[in-house]
Amino acid sequence: MACVLAASMANVAMLPLANAGLVATEQVAAGFVSNGDSNRYRIEALFARPEIQAELIRRGVDPAEARKRVAALDDEEARTLVNHLDAMPAGASDVLTVLLVVFIVLLVTDILGLTKIFSFTRPIK
Amino acid sequence: MRFDSVFGARFPPLSGVFFILACLAACTAPQTRALRDTAPSEPRQVELTQTPFFPQSDFQCGPAALATALRAAGIAVDPDSVAPQVFLPERKGSLQLEMIAAARRNGALPVPLAPELRALLVEMGAGRPVIVLQNLSLSWAPIWHYAVAIGYDLDASEIILRSGRTRRLTMSMSTFERTWARGGYWAIAVAAPGSVPASVSEPSYLQAALAFEKVAPPDQSLLAYQAATRRWPASELAWMGTGNSAFRLKQWQVAESAFRRAAESGKDPVPALNNLALTLEATGRIDEAIEIARRATAAGGPFETTARETLAELLARSAHTATTEKQ
Repeated sequence: MACVLAASMANVAMLPLANAGLVATEQVAAGFVSNGDSNRYRIEALFARPEIQAELIRRGVDPAEARKRVAALDDEEARTLVNHLDAMPAGASDVLTVLLVVFIVLLVTDILGLTKIFSFTRPIK
Repeated sequence: MRFDSVFGARFPPLSGVFFILACLAACTAPQTRALRDTAPSEPRQVELTQTPFFPQSDFQCGPAALATALRAAGIAVDPDSVAPQVFLPERKGSLQLEMIAAARRNGALPVPLAPELRALLVEMGAGRPVIVLQNLSLSWAPIWHYAVAIGYDLDASEIILRSGRTRRLTMSMSTFERTWARGGYWAIAVAAPGSVPASVSEPSYLQAALAFEKVAPPDQSLLAYQAATRRWPASELAWMGTGNSAFRLKQWQVAESAFRRAAESGKDPVPALNNLALTLEATGRIDEAIEIARRATAAGGPFETTARETLAELLARSAHTATTEKQ
């Protein structure tokens, strides 16, 4: 909990301040790139960040590293991630797993008599 | 034939399924076919043989692919250093958005590419390898995999990848297209600040630059925006980003000329004029600053309030300076 609180406070500090009245690039961008209502996005992202951080930690990420990972996301990415974390593909495949799957499929098709890859299979009658 | 007796006579619906499967296997994927039919202007063969190779350890294709692309962009990392930044232990994999965020953390601009094989060819032709997400299996039983596309051969209709434990994997372009389509046509180019990927559009590059500006030191975001002004000289946003990054670095001359260009380029000159006024003030040209700020307030629009605040502040400072000088 302390971690989450600290993170949300850090994020408040990260919000672009009206520094000396300088108009930030992203304010000009609001109408140009496809990020729609940037104020709403920023607020949603602000609430999303501590949640993502907690979810990452729950999925085995080191807490200190989780904070840095969340900080590297932009607002739109944070919004997307918080809603779809488990639905998103996680590129993972180990090539051996793939080979194993291919082996089993070919084995089955061999046994069905559709292919003839392996010398030791005999099609079912 | 046994095939008929098993699948035709006894299970009539299955024979239809196998017929469709046979057809699917025989036809070429659509984009591959279009490439074959239209003879694109890209070189027929490309292979970026200098691209480093990191054989992946278990489930670590994300870190391996990311490290490969970052190294190719001249950023010294290895899979072990990026793994903690992207790997999600419970999912035994890496999420696309975290791949993007981690590239940014390591000082590069990750730019998503258009969902077209052509975009990959253009990038490789320009010497830049591309990270792709594939689903090697079927959509209902996905096996997600990140690989780095490093070349192709249009005559042989093949793509060349650094993939998993294989240094040089050649895959039929059609098969690649299908696995890539099942991965949502996801591909990113990883650029060192100062270079713009060959195939990307102005909005997608600038969106990447905006996200980069928030986490990168200003000298790096300056490089990224300056590169954009060279590619798209009429881009208001590229000039604004250049100006703001230069302002943060106190490179007043660079900031001044960038804001002047931005004011000419955009539909709404107020943000650029506002920032130009502050730049001029920072270099002690208070009268010019006030004149520019007046122009900004006169133009109106959504940034009018900011411009008015800036003008008020400049007038107050000018009055303050005048009184101190009198004393």
